[in-house]
Amino acid sequence: MSREIKPEDAASPVDQLVKLTVRDLEKLPPPYDKPGMEPELTDPKPEWKEKYATDLDGYIAIDLPWKPKNKEEEERLIKSFLNGLNKLLTKEGNWTFLQPLLLSLEYCAKCQTCSNACPIYIMSGKQEVYKPTWRAEILRRIWKKYCTPAGKIFGKFVSGDIELNAKTLMRLAESAYRCTLCRRCTQTCPIGVDNGLISHEIRKLFSQEMGIAPKALHELGTVQHLKVGSSTGLTPDGVKDIIEFIEDDIEDKIGKRIKIPVDEKGADILLIHNAGEFLSWPENPAAFAILFEEAGISWTLSSEQVAYDAVNYGVWYDDLQLARIAAKHAEIANKLEVNKIVVGECGHAHKAITVIADRVLHDDIWIPRESCMPILWEIVKKEKINFDPEKNNFPVTLHDPCNMVRLMGVVEPQRKILRKLAPQFREMEPHGVYNYCCGGGSGFAIMQSMNFPEWRNAVATRMKFKQVLEAFKDCLDPSINKYICAPCSNCKGAIRDMLSYYQASERLSIYYGGLVELMVNAMVDLEEPFVEWEFH
Amino acid sequence: MPISALMALSYAAFAIFVIVVASKWVKWSSMPMHLRWELYPVPHEAGRNQYGGSYIEEVDYWKKPRETTLAGELKDMFSEMLFIKRVYEYKRPLWWLTYPFHAGIYLILAWFFLLFVHGILSVYISIPVLAKVVYYLIQICGTIGIIAATLGCIGLIIRRFSDKDMLNYTAGVEIFNLFFILIVLLTGIATWITYDPNFQHAMEFMKALVAFNSAYLPKLTTIAEVHVILLCLLWIYIPFTKMSHFIGKYFTFHKVLWDDELNVPGSKVEAKVRELTRLPMPWSAPHVDTGKSWDENALENPKDEWGRWKY
Repeated sequence: MSREIKPEDAASPVDQLVKLTVRDLEKLPPPYDKPGMEPELTDPKPEWKEKYATDLDGYIAIDLPWKPKNKEEEERLIKSFLNGLNKLLTKEGNWTFLQPLLLSLEYCAKCQTCSNACPIYIMSGKQEVYKPTWRAEILRRIWKKYCTPAGKIFGKFVSGDIELNAKTLMRLAESAYRCTLCRRCTQTCPIGVDNGLISHEIRKLFSQEMGIAPKALHELGTVQHLKVGSSTGLTPDGVKDIIEFIEDDIEDKIGKRIKIPVDEKGADILLIHNAGEFLSWPENPAAFAILFEEAGISWTLSSEQVAYDAVNYGVWYDDLQLARIAAKHAEIANKLEVNKIVVGECGHAHKAITVIADRVLHDDIWIPRESCMPILWEIVKKEKINFDPEKNNFPVTLHDPCNMVRLMGVVEPQRKILRKLAPQFREMEPHGVYNYCCGGGSGFAIMQSMNFPEWRNAVATRMKFKQVLEAFKDCLDPSINKYICAPCSNCKGAIRDMLSYYQASERLSIYYGGLVELMVNAMVDLEEPFVEWEFH
Repeated sequence: MPISALMALSYAAFAIFVIVVASKWVKWSSMPMHLRWELYPVPHEAGRNQYGGSYIEEVDYWKKPRETTLAGELKDMFSEMLFIKRVYEYKRPLWWLTYPFHAGIYLILAWFFLLFVHGILSVYISIPVLAKVVYYLIQICGTIGIIAATLGCIGLIIRRFSDKDMLNYTAGVEIFNLFFILIVLLTGIATWITYDPNFQHAMEFMKALVAFNSAYLPKLTTIAEVHVILLCLLWIYIPFTKMSHFIGKYFTFHKVLWDDELNVPGSKVEAKVRELTRLPMPWSAPHVDTGKSWDENALENPKDEWGRWKY
């Protein structure tokens, strides 16, 4: 049924354009090729349909009750959308992405070369609504019809068929949250058209003009980050308490107390972690502290609001929120008089502050920013710490966060470390800049409301799960512990939920963690293993 | 002798083509600097382009000299321009159609250039040996070019109609464009077979254009006249459509996907950032202070009653 869907069907009056079942999805490798190995997919609750946009595939990413109740509300929504679209096409409104957006709207040849690069489209069993060009073509047709002279004069002949109603907009907005912005599709385009960018711009239009965005990204994300200090809700006092707890924990584990530097003026490095690490994986900041202290690096953490959380969810949906958080990070680093900001294991935070915000920061709010990966590799390369790779003699594979590899070119340092410290390291295929997203990219990992996690686990992370099973196919025996090294908090979140959804830790002893944990695990001076084989 | 109507149309078509292409180039190049949005592999990264690495893999990268390779960029550029590498790698069945089409067009463009050179050699400078070489190259480029482009064009039309993935996304104008090109190619083939098998008249036509003298014009048959008129209209039409993607392609790769220029204090990039962040924000969502600049919005975020940032 879904193969018959066309871009103009976005306006269709039907309740739900696509209904997914497990049988539609691409098959997984053994042992998940047998029936009953994964849960059935569920229908949205009837009451959700009244308030939320379930019209695309029944899943809800935008957990706001924004469905228009009557004709007036529908007209207001359409008017507001068109206002936003016009702003998206101006220098004032969108200098940030005007040129890339217009190039992508204007030059797509509709050759569909990009489709097979998309893990969501492929693993969904090639559902048309997840094709990179589907949502892009809807926006392109609206743009042509309403914003270009040719479209206004020649109508459908030039723009293609599209009707602009509430259904179109609800499906367009939701479909922008069925793309992880991994931009794998863009790598394959012979013209350089960027359908990932179009998803980003659709999200932005809805957020910056209408205030419509998933709560996890906006209200509980960037707004909470700026207001409270972290998108996790962690306060400055809270983070100080956790740091003390981490110091105790380090002492328990390595028999030595390390004083974690906090707000130390004049340190060389301000290290910023994704605050999710403090709450969900405190062993990660602990491992950083051990490595940096043992390597004699001058560093500090910040306990000031915003600066103890490296995340910047603005990068996924709102340029202003991106700029606000990036500016705050830089401002606090300058106040601490450090030489540079170093981002911990968080992919999107890497890209947000290092690459994207590179053209936001200027004058007093400029400061050098870099990835933690080159520094970690220097620790190994220059033998600042003694490591024994035999301590990591178990199967390890590396998940490449898209933001770190394809979107900023940090590819080799992390694998050089693994080649040196993990004797059973094996790559996933494909990897590096051609990797597949974990399925949690662009905010999906933290969007936990209503039925969205089901879609993420069943569809968005499916390709990653397939890759993991293939990487470990020679050692699936549950008596062998296996480690997915995912140097990114959001990826870890997605992988945690993936392993739980498919019960892969219980069934196959597949676990996950960061890179620094493996490094500390290999330290000669440590008597007990640092990596704990338990699912959390 | 004064120029003929067909000559006038030919000059006009060429002039309009050049002017519109140039104005599009100016339009794209005068767009504001955007946020960095590069995509790896970036081919000018010396020593790293093979695996897709960047200068950010270095500690303190902003202090170090950038190592770039023009050869890497040219290799990627030409393999895409001349061989349509990405379609070959990612959609091979389509490549067998699109490649002859595009390669045929390149050969036809080369044929035009050779006709021009031949015209110059006939009117202004006499180098018989070179004229002979050019004559044979005209035969080769013209023959292979028109056959390859026509077969490719027919193939692309069939594919466009038979492949639902493509057809469902295709607007009427895109079908029209393909048929327009096909008609020009078919009238060209008809002219070639029935009237000008050695491109002798094409050379004479170009000679008249180069000399600005209609005395050199051959006597054209009706099909030849129709072909010249349609060809001129196509030249005029192309730059207004997305068939001019050769312009866009330069900007998508060089100015977006490969644009990794760093912003450091005192740089031109910083000056542009300073200027752009002074622009007023027109957006209307509740978290935006509409009308205030990007900088004001980002740096002077309003506070709530507890002194906390509001958004």
